[in-house]
Amino acid sequence: MRLKILTVDDSKTVRIIVKKSFKGFDCEITEAQNGVEGLAMAAKVNPDIILLDITMPVMDGVEMLTKLKSDPTLKSIPVIMLTAEAGRENVMKIAKIGVRDYIVKPFKEDVLVDKVSRVVDLRPAGEAAPVQKKIDDPIDILVVDDKPAIISQITEGFSHTPWNVKGVSSTGEAIDFCQKKLPDCIIISLSLAEDAAITLFRIIRSNAKTKYVPLFGLSVKTAVEEQARAQQAGFSTIIHKPIDFEELEAKIGKAVNLDASGKYFQMGEGYMTVKLPKSCNAAVVNEISTYLKVKTSEAVNAGIAKIIFDAQNVASLNMDVIKLLLHSMKTCRDLSLRYALTGNDVVIEESKKFEESKDWKFCDSLETAKASI
Amino acid sequence: MQQTFPISDEELEALAKNSIDSVFSTMLDRSAVVKEVIKVDETSHSEGMQLPMDANTPMIAGTVGFLGNLTGIIYIFMELPLAMEATCKLLDMEESDIGAEDHELVNDAIGELTNMIVGTFKNDLSNKGYECRMTIPSILRGSNFSIEPAEVALRRIFKFDCDGRSFVIDVLMKEEN
Repeated sequence: MRLKILTVDDSKTVRIIVKKSFKGFDCEITEAQNGVEGLAMAAKVNPDIILLDITMPVMDGVEMLTKLKSDPTLKSIPVIMLTAEAGRENVMKIAKIGVRDYIVKPFKEDVLVDKVSRVVDLRPAGEAAPVQKKIDDPIDILVVDDKPAIISQITEGFSHTPWNVKGVSSTGEAIDFCQKKLPDCIIISLSLAEDAAITLFRIIRSNAKTKYVPLFGLSVKTAVEEQARAQQAGFSTIIHKPIDFEELEAKIGKAVNLDASGKYFQMGEGYMTVKLPKSCNAAVVNEISTYLKVKTSEAVNAGIAKIIFDAQNVASLNMDVIKLLLHSMKTCRDLSLRYALTGNDVVIEESKKFEESKDWKFCDSLETAKASI
Repeated sequence: MQQTFPISDEELEALAKNSIDSVFSTMLDRSAVVKEVIKVDETSHSEGMQLPMDANTPMIAGTVGFLGNLTGIIYIFMELPLAMEATCKLLDMEESDIGAEDHELVNDAIGELTNMIVGTFKNDLSNKGYECRMTIPSILRGSNFSIEPAEVALRRIFKFDCDGRSFVIDVLMKEEN
């Protein structure tokens, strides 16, 4: 839902500057030229926030604020005063009536955006109805680390993906990058000098544009103290060095909300193939389970009635995989879908050791599986 | 009859410079330097005086008053090309978007700049213990402006240069009992 901002100022210039400041955000700006128009507009559009000037003709900002706060239907609307007058007397007067914040002209546009974003949930334009990116779509990852070797390692680690990795070595460069281009994810080395990682975390989180970007801390496993400080500051995810890229890829995919179903589910020629990866740990099985119902429905809706569960790449069978396959096969039977299993020698051998899978019949290739159903 | 004024010439120049620096750097990404300071009194300019600017250049004058322990009025006389450049920068527009005939928008922008400059000046006075409130800005256009003497305790004219273009601040103040 678009955020509604009401700007009440007798200066057209200020109203244009306000509109310009919020151009990149998902908001709708309405304008009024004085307190009388402001009150009428507030009642009409019920804004999420009001930016209010003090010195105006007809009805000034202090009078409008007084009337607004005495109206039960309007009094909860937060107000930020935007004024050239900052005398102590004025500040005390309007603080008593109840304003959320106070901006003294002249002001920088980013100060205005920052103050508003502290009061209401300001989101970049287009974020209200996001188009979910897929795991194989290009995303931008910013790595902040003063060690070029780590940046190279991460770039190399994601070289099999279409993801763009940009490395910078300092807080200032990171902020500059974010101003020019909003990254999808930021990885910050927790060992940057002078607690720069924590400082950068706070700057990013307090900026309306970057506050929702997932932030990962990067640390040596044994650096317990720096990890504790990072967690205390608010880092939710900490990646350990040496980096497990499979784990990092999965965590980024989840944090950025990438649709990873394409890694496992493929459709074509009347079949849906569920391709299990080499390492089928609990996290992977859980991810596949999350997509299973939706992808099966998609297949049925697309007229596909045959499913192949392809375990040829699986390194080792475990109970999580067996449970996944049991559940999947039951879903197929419930929906009258035909299915087949493929597996390698290890998988076939290991399946015989479990009561639940000892009777499963595996095909040795996709072609054989297709021919069998 | 002039009264003894509680703000020195140095303080007043600092107030004028600070208000210009603050507004120009924040809103216009520009700086301006003081080129000339003129002390005006009834005796030295009893017949009035020309503005220290090219009389033939069209100008726009913004004015805002303030009332309180100190009462006064500040005029900002700006060459029209500078006013146009300032408007474009403030509104993130090109001159062609505004148009030479769109006086209303340029007037409004210069009115707002004047409001900010006088606001900063007044806020600094407030920090010195002088509480006052501001009036709504008004705008004049013309050329060949002449300054008449006025019965005030203090009047100073500051000529500024901003990237080769001139503007003038005329400060008139008196202390209220």
